[in-house]
Amino acid sequence: MEPALQQQADEQRVLDIIAIAQHRDQEALVRLFDYYVPKIRAFCLAKQPGANLMADDIAQEVMIRVWNKAHTYQKESASLNTWIFTVARNARIDYLRKNSRHQSDIDPENLWQDVVDENADPFKDMQHHRDQKRIKEGLDKLPQEQKQVLSKVYLEGKTHQEASEELSLPLGTIKSRIRLALHKLTIYIKR
Amino acid sequence: MTHYHPSVEMLTDYAAGSLPLTHALCVSTHIEHCHECQQQLRKLEILGSHLFDDVPTEPRRLDDLKQNLLSKLRKSDRVSDNSHPKESTESKLDAFLEDYSVPKSLRQFVKKSYDQLSWTRLSPSFKIATLYNEEGGAQVALTRVKAGAHMPSHTHTGDEITLVLEGAFSDEAGIYRKGDFIQRGANHKHKPIVTKDAECICLTVLDAPIEFTGWFTRLLNPLIRRHHPFTRAEG
Repeated sequence: MEPALQQQADEQRVLDIIAIAQHRDQEALVRLFDYYVPKIRAFCLAKQPGANLMADDIAQEVMIRVWNKAHTYQKESASLNTWIFTVARNARIDYLRKNSRHQSDIDPENLWQDVVDENADPFKDMQHHRDQKRIKEGLDKLPQEQKQVLSKVYLEGKTHQEASEELSLPLGTIKSRIRLALHKLTIYIKR
Repeated sequence: MTHYHPSVEMLTDYAAGSLPLTHALCVSTHIEHCHECQQQLRKLEILGSHLFDDVPTEPRRLDDLKQNLLSKLRKSDRVSDNSHPKESTESKLDAFLEDYSVPKSLRQFVKKSYDQLSWTRLSPSFKIATLYNEEGGAQVALTRVKAGAHMPSHTHTGDEITLVLEGAFSDEAGIYRKGDFIQRGANHKHKPIVTKDAECICLTVLDAPIEFTGWFTRLLNPLIRRHHPFTRAEG
């Protein structure tokens, strides 16, 4: 999609989430459903290929959370895509926790809650846009081998050890590819 | 000011949601008060959202799912009379009941105060309270050591994460203060000492039980093992 059209579509989705928060606008929810549900399903299927029922359940749960929590979305703190990604990630963790053989009592809702940035300043919005742009552009330029490892971790939800086994690479190589990638994306600065 | 943070790999797994929940509990508790890691997490989540946005989707008819969702929402909105879900005030009130403020991520296990937990005394200056035993997995516990006390010299038989919640302690490698996040591998042997000004409370996650190495404290090892889920699952 053209960048200008892309931006317009992104802005429309932000208006949609505001409309849900303010007037419980179902048409706005349907538009977000059409855009995000295929992505959420794909995100779940990346973790467990073929698990269509799980993908449907999680996608539905994410849309329910969007409907109920739309008023907590702050456009100054995160793009809508980032917000939906975190909601989907949390719903996936929760689903897997409740349906796994070893059920955990630790409630993920308490662990991945929205961190309120107390040092907020007027430049936050600007800085956020700059980070968004820098990470997006960096990701497009990343060598395939580094991108592949990031996808294993983020989309397939693999541990570094599992990624190392699946790609038949030493654990050290996986770790260094992740570090290199994060360094290029200016996410990781050696402390 | 926090000096010891989770590794970038661990933060990445946390942002991706692939970190085991016991480890995520420690990371989350650290992040609550670490501005630096909050910033890094924010960027790692932006990265996640771009990968999420690019994920290849498959064509599939989703009309049934959509209708099902909409009818569910109509029902739930009728029940809740169009109001937003109420925020719980319970945990906010509890924070005032004690001297120490319990981090949000721990309030599931520490309802009111550290004092009200069931502590097991392992020595005159060292107490432990188990928060959660994962079935066949890690143990999440709080340790409480008196000001100026030496903790018994011990070796880890698995990975250990320690997060300082109150006070400070030191070992051969450095001094650790409130908010510091320390990860130790198996076979790491150390002898921590709590600073003299205040008691030290830490959150610990042990993948396998620790083993005391002192001549007298070795007698405590069976007790420690009995409390750890890893040993119970084996036995």
